[in-house]
Parts: sequence; structure tokens; C-alpha cells
Amino acid sequence: MKSLRLLSCLLLSTTLTRAADPQESDYYKITTFETPQDTALEVSSIELLPGGKLALGTRRGEIWTVTGAQGDPAKVQYQLFASGQHEVLGLAYKDGALYETNRYEVAKLTDTDGDGRADTFLTVTDKWGVSGDYHEYAFGSRFDKNGDLWVLLCLTGSFSSETDFRGWALRVKPDGTLVPTCSGIRSPGGIGFDADGEVYFTDNQGPWRGADNLQHLIPGTFQGHPGGFKWYDKAPNMGPRPVEPNDKSRMETERARIKELVPPAVYLVYGKIGNSSSFICCDLSKGKFGPFQKQLFIGDQSHSNVARVFLEEINGVKQGVVIPFLQGFKSGLIGGRMTGDGQLFAGGSDRGWGAKGGRPYSFERVDWTGKAPFEVHEMRARPDGFELTFTEPVDPATAGNPASYKAREFTYIYRAEYGSPEVDDVIPKITGATVAPDKKSVRLTFDKLTKGHIHELHLDGVKSAAGLPVLHPVAYYTLNEIPAK
Amino acid sequence: MLRSPALLLAMLLAVRAFAAEPQIINIKTLQAQMRYDVTDFTVSPGAEVRIVFENMDDMPHNLVLFQAGTDVAAVAAKNLEKPDEAMKRDWLPDDPRMLAHSKAVAPKTKDEIVFKAPDKGGSYPYVCTFPGHALSMQGRMRVVLPGPGLTGLKFALYLGDWKKLPDFAALTPHREGAVADNLVQLKFDDYKNQYGVVFTGKLAAPKDGEYTFLLASDDGGRIAVDGNKVVEDDGVHPANVREGKVKLKAGEHEFRLEYFQQAGEAELFAAWSGADFTMTPLSKWLPAGLQSAGPKKKKDETPSIPIVVGKEPVLYRNFIANAGGRPIAVGYPGGVNLAWSVDQLNLALLWRGAFMDAGRHWTDRGGGEQPPLGYDLLRPTADVAPPFAVLASTSAEWPAADKKADEAKGSEKRAAGYQWKGYTLDAKRFPTFLYEWGAVKVSERYEGEGEGKLVRTLKLAGPIPANAYLRIASGTIQPAGDAFAVDGGVFDVQGRSFENKYAVAAQGAQLAGRNLVVPARAEIKITYAWAANHAGHVH
Repeated sequence: MKSLRLLSCLLLSTTLTRAADPQESDYYKITTFETPQDTALEVSSIELLPGGKLALGTRRGEIWTVTGAQGDPAKVQYQLFASGQHEVLGLAYKDGALYETNRYEVAKLTDTDGDGRADTFLTVTDKWGVSGDYHEYAFGSRFDKNGDLWVLLCLTGSFSSETDFRGWALRVKPDGTLVPTCSGIRSPGGIGFDADGEVYFTDNQGPWRGADNLQHLIPGTFQGHPGGFKWYDKAPNMGPRPVEPNDKSRMETERARIKELVPPAVYLVYGKIGNSSSFICCDLSKGKFGPFQKQLFIGDQSHSNVARVFLEEINGVKQGVVIPFLQGFKSGLIGGRMTGDGQLFAGGSDRGWGAKGGRPYSFERVDWTGKAPFEVHEMRARPDGFELTFTEPVDPATAGNPASYKAREFTYIYRAEYGSPEVDDVIPKITGATVAPDKKSVRLTFDKLTKGHIHELHLDGVKSAAGLPVLHPVAYYTLNEIPAK
Repeated sequence: MLRSPALLLAMLLAVRAFAAEPQIINIKTLQAQMRYDVTDFTVSPGAEVRIVFENMDDMPHNLVLFQAGTDVAAVAAKNLEKPDEAMKRDWLPDDPRMLAHSKAVAPKTKDEIVFKAPDKGGSYPYVCTFPGHALSMQGRMRVVLPGPGLTGLKFALYLGDWKKLPDFAALTPHREGAVADNLVQLKFDDYKNQYGVVFTGKLAAPKDGEYTFLLASDDGGRIAVDGNKVVEDDGVHPANVREGKVKLKAGEHEFRLEYFQQAGEAELFAAWSGADFTMTPLSKWLPAGLQSAGPKKKKDETPSIPIVVGKEPVLYRNFIANAGGRPIAVGYPGGVNLAWSVDQLNLALLWRGAFMDAGRHWTDRGGGEQPPLGYDLLRPTADVAPPFAVLASTSAEWPAADKKADEAKGSEKRAAGYQWKGYTLDAKRFPTFLYEWGAVKVSERYEGEGEGKLVRTLKLAGPIPANAYLRIASGTIQPAGDAFAVDGGVFDVQGRSFENKYAVAAQGAQLAGRNLVVPARAEIKITYAWAANHAGHVH
């Protein structure tokens, strides 16, 4: 009898612990791969190849192909496909060739003799400037919906534009033509697409960047850092040089002055979401990665974590919410790619900037355990507040109580100085919280919304119908536009 | 961790200097390295300390000092648990063990931290508390107390003409006496040259452990503890600081310092340090030239990651010194190597022996130009410039590099009229570079012949302009049999000097001023050969 009672106590306490304290790892599992002994696999780009293979580009300038990464990590096999490149920050596969963006060029790599190693490295374009400054990174995209590749050129020293098109996004047409496409890039960390094929990049906090952010790359626009304006002289397709932004201003103010200026779709709130944002992966797995279909997953080098972004378009402007998603990666994340089967591959290194993960480099995989976390699923702006949808039915008593939520509105100074504190705080009152009949969404009304501000929402009091707290009870919505209805 | 006697002395002097004025410590962040330049400095207990903290990096940093024994990694990690709160504090941790700190220092600006050093001896860590930075941005401030000095110090003066320390025990002292201030010193007014002294006294070790003794003597000197030699610098020479270590039990020990003076300068310095106390002088004199030494900068510790060339050529694209823009280095089996500029579409450097060291580029952020690793560097043309030109006559000089274009930043730096098309690797993995000069398609391939020769083959397809030439060498050039002997002029690469002498042969090669040129044609084969005896190697 005694032992039976003890057992039931144990079971009960286990259940209680789990109920009260859900962990990220209950829902998403990180698998860390062993990497080849004779190199430092500082993964800086990942692409999917036919037959379930992966291609990994590294900061050491190698490209590895990986077989079996979807299954048992003990059975993974690596093959060195190419080496001697200067930092592989972009890989794109098309028609039997791997297109690599390195510091100097976009090159088409092929293995013509079938020995598993590249033997032709043909330049697609190299019509940009390279001064020899280490910070002049070149990030490359995969092929966009028009068949173009995008190249993002970091500023010289991350501060100025000493050679052609530093601080610009360029498109590479299939014939190799290079098209200046957006100015205003500072120090990019990654580039990717949303479910509609729209192009985004992450930029890092610094001058004219109050915080890391996710930017929508619309051809012809100015993305916020004026350091590369002189190259408008070499980009007649871009029209005249935009008006210079005023220093120590606000993005909201300057948007009204500078018609080409695109505000951040989402501020990746500095220190809270991350410190050095990197890859962008869209979940196109149709549910195999869990309930966040078509959302974006953003890596961070410094925090060694991944955040989740839901975007919507209001008055023609992209905006949305960022929510913490998963931490505990072993090194600073740089390269990432999600498969159609809902596996997220991510890797990176801590070299030069440090990372929370602790290892100098890593290559990892994230699998959904099949269990849905209780999370804010989507957050949409409304004329007088927000509409939240949840991944699981909510408990109407807590979710319908405005006191279960706390909100704050703030922004950053848009300035030439490095970064920005959070400023212009507004503390709104949450005047209503109405749970929908299906218990999957909640309509919040605020006494005031502030255009241009980040709306920080805490949901510490909200419980699911099953009694669970929200796994990540904070959301940061960048309200560029307030919908009319 | 104290390896450098000079550093020990600097610390010692820092301690001595303290009483009168604040101790000023200059600490900088190193650009793009996530490190402080000073990671170890010493102050006196209770001293007024002024840290001038200058941020040379491209991102903000701070410098936060903690109490001795603080697990700074844990503090920094804790800061990340509530980042919104930490950020409001400019990433300063909410931790009572914080001793002093700078503000968040923006790139290329500075801040001063003024505080009173703790009275308690110990190692006080400092880090940058910005997220993730503490992993590499660490240092320590040591608060150290001076150790015990000598007691009962006596001297025995001997006269003699020695080149090495004599066996003093077999000699009779000329004069003996006590040293009132218990500091080793050479105040023997009556003798300037040709004498020796033996100092004996007691030293009390505070506890069991290892102790370090320093000695600088002009001329020979030796320190023995309990009859065992700890450090010696015998012979006739100027004073150099020498170091020796000995394990001692707690308690009193016999100290013996033997010294002789032959002629000229006469100087003698002795000091010791232990786990609990800083380097404490046992002599009156301190070596000159070290008096002004501040905390020593941490030496550049870029590790070496040599790239080994095996049976196949190895390519390395990165920032390579003296190799033009967008260089490609190739190491060939057999020990010949080259660097080729993709901006100028031309050969920049040849060398033999080891290939490249990737340490600089594969650690930290990877900035900076790396010189080749091997020896006998050659620079076939004085400047890295485009390979072809149309010359009105071969007596004409090679067109001078367009200075303006050369200095211009950006794509203008690239050779006008040329297009880089990439490269292929053949079955042996030898690269062939592909480029276009106007309507001419050029392929260029190299193959080594042992360690002494490199054969360069260019193939041109398309309409070759009239009077087009390829420049294959420049310098003082003499015909030598079938080849030409080239003296390209000594050049320096990051502190190494190279003679730049070699032989070059190519069918149809001819002098054009100070250049050796070959008429452009469908196939051009050039052989570069080093002198057999490594004569080109200058240190």
C-alpha cells in the first residue's frame, strides 16, 4: 500500500510540474550533429539539394554536402564539395549547379565529373567593390520568385561605404546583370523570403539602426542607413538620391519626409529578442513544423536562439509581431534553412562576436515533437487594438480579463549614433479583452495606439483551456500603420 | 601566469608609484577582436585608480570590475535572463559584487572609471557585460601587497680579477659588514672594478609554495636559497633581468647572492614574489628603462593555422599581403605557390616552401592581410597591374599604372576592359583561371616543376589586337642563355625582405624598357625559376 501511494504521489507531482512549467523542449527538440574532425564547421549558409542532401557553406570558405541529416544523427555523412572560398554567406541550388555568394562574387559551382567535388567555379557577377576591410560581408539569397539572386553588401567597417555599392541590396539577373535594388543596408545578417516570395533581410543594431530589425526589400526603396547614398550616381534605375534623413529623429517622422524610406517590418527588439539577427526561414511545411505555417523564423548569433515572426500588410506596408521561439542552440546562429518536411537546420559560429551557446561552431536540427505549444499564434493590428489568435483554446476567464495582459508602447531614436535606447514610452490601458466563441482568438482594445511604436504585450495571466500558461508570454508588434477598420 | 620579468617589474613599479598619485591604467578594446588590450594589471591596496577606457571597436562595450572570486561568466549569463531590465541598466548587471564600471562606451569614444582599490589583496575580474561579450572580453585587476624583505643582511667584499663568478667560499673576504637597510646594494665607494660581493641574509616565506626570484647583474650574479641555486647570470655582461623559481616551505630561509664586477658599469638588482604578494625588491637599485613601464599589452596571440598542401593543389581566397585585390593563392604539390589577383587578372607573387597560414583569417573576425608562409618570394612585376597592353614599339615603356584609378576606391580599382570569368579545376585539381581581355578569351594555368620552377601557360582565343604584349617580368633584366636573369629589386612584405632575383624564359621574350614582354599569341608558355641556392632569401 505504502509504495503504491508513493508511486501515485510521484505521478501526480510529475504531472503538476509539467502542467505548471512547460518547456520549449516539450515541443521542439534540438539535435546537435557531430561535424568533420579536420575543420571548424562554422556554418554560414545552408541550402537544400536534391535527394535530401544539404549544402553547408562556412566562414572558413568551405562548402560541405551532407547526407542523412534528416535522420539518425549518428549516420550523417559529410563530403567536402569546395574549399578556398572567402566566406560562403549564400548558397542557392538550381538545375544541377550550386550558386555561391562569397565576398568577391556570385559563382556557379558544378561537379562535372561526378566525384562529389566542384570543378567549375564560373563567375556570374562580381561587379561590386571590395576594399579589403573585413566587415564587407556579402550575403546571398536563394533564387527569388523571378529567378533572381539577391546580394546584400555590408558597409565598409559596418560604418561607411568605401567601395561600390557597399550598403546596398543588388539583384543578379539570370544573365548575370547586376541591378542596384535597395539602398540603406547597414550590416545584414541574413536574407530570406516569406510565403508569398517577398524578400526580407535582417539588419543589425548600429548607426541608424536603433535595434536589429527585419526589413522588407522592395525594389527601388531606401532601407534606412544613408551611408551608401553616393552610389545613386551609378544606379540610374533607382531614380534620384532620396532626401537625407534627419539625425536624432524618429522613423515615423522620417517616413513622412522620405518617400523611399521603408520602416522596419518588425523591430527584433534589442536584448530581448536578440542582439545580432541572422537567417530568415519561412515555414512552408504545411504543418509539419507545428502550428506556425507561413511564419518566419529568425536566427540570432549572439543569443544563439530563434525568434518567430508573423507579418501582415496594412496600407501597403509590411508589419507584424516577433515572439521568442526557441533558445539553447550550441553556438551563434548564422545559417539556417527549413525543409518542406518541417525540419529546421541551423548552424553558425561565435567567432569574433561571442555567442551565448558556448561552442565555437555548430550544426543543428530542430524537430517538432508533434505537440503544439500554447502560444500566441498570430497578432493582428485593429483600429483600436489587436486581435490575438492562439494555438490552443484559451481559458475564457483569464484570456477574457484585461488584467491578464500588460502593454507598453515605445520606439527607438533614428540617429547616426550607434543604436538607441527605448524611448517615448506610452503606457496604454487595455480596455477590453473579448474571447471569440471558438476560444481560439481574443480581441484586445487599447485606449490608445501609437503609430510607429513597438507595442509590447505581456500575457502572463492568460491560461489555455487546459490550464497552461503561454509558453512565451510576450509579443512585440511593430505598428507602422493603424488599420482603418 | 606571469611570464615576463618586465611585466613583473612593471607591476612592482606600479605598486611603488602608488602612494603619491592615482594609478592610471589605459585599457582599449581591440577592433574586431572582442578583447581588451590589457587583460592583467596590478594596483596597490586602497590606491586611487583611474582606468581610461577607450573603445576602438565598431560596437559599444563597457568595462565592469567585480569583487575577487566573482564568477563573471555566470553574472553575464544572468544578465541575459531578464534582458529588458538589463538593457535599461545599459547591460550593467544587477549584482552587489560589482566594484566599479564604465558607462556603455560608444564606438571610438572613451570613458574614465575612478575608484579606490580594495584594501584586500586578490584578483578582481573585469568583463564587458554586453550580451555574449564576457566570453572573450575578460581581464583581471590584481590588488597586491608587497612581500617581506630581507633581514639580517650582511655583505662580504672580495677583490679579484674574474671573468666568471669565483668560488667565494675558497677566498678570504677583504671586508665584511652588515647592511643597515637590508637592501642589496653596491655602495663600495673605494672600489669601482675587479671586486666581488657575497650578500647573505634571511627571507621569511609566508607559506609553503612556489616563489620567483629576479636577478639583474652587471657583471655576473647568482642567487641561492638554502644553498640551492635559483637564478644565475654568470660572466661579463650588462644587466638583464633573469628569473628563477623555487618551492619553499613556510618559514625562514638562507638567502645568498654572489656577484662580481669586472669593469665598466656595475649594477645589481634582486627581487622576489609569491602567491600572496607582488614582486618585492630586495635591492636598492632597479633596472633602468623599466621605470616608466606601464601595464604591458597582451601580445598578439593569433594562433597559427597553416594550410598544408598534399597531393593536390590547395586554393585559398582571402586578404593576402602584396597580392592585389581579390587574390587567390594556390599552393601546388612540391612546394611552389602563387598569389594571383582577380582585380588585376594577373600574377602577383610566387614563393616556395610552406603555403599560407590561415590563423589570422580563421580566428576572431578574420581581418587583415596575411603574407605568404614560405620563403623566396618573387614579385615578377613591380606593381600588380593588368597583364596585357598594346605598345607602339617595344622601346616604349610599359604603360604606367593609372595612378588615379589605382588610388580610386571601388570597382575602378579593377582592370579596365577585363572580365573575371572564374576558374576550373582539372582532374588533378589544378586550377585554370579564366578571364576576358576585350574580345580575347584568356585561360591561364600553372604547374610546378619541383621546388625550383613554375611553368605558366596562357591560351588566348579571339581577335588579338596588333602590337599586344604580355608583361612577364620587370626590373633589371639581362639575357642569360635561353633565359633572362631578373633582378626585380628588393621588396618587403610585413617586415620580411626578399631579394626578388630569378630567371624567366619564354619564347619570343624581349626587353621593353625595364620590362620583359612577350607578343600576345594563341599560346604563351613562361618558366619562372628560382636560383638553385636559395640566394633570394634575405632575412
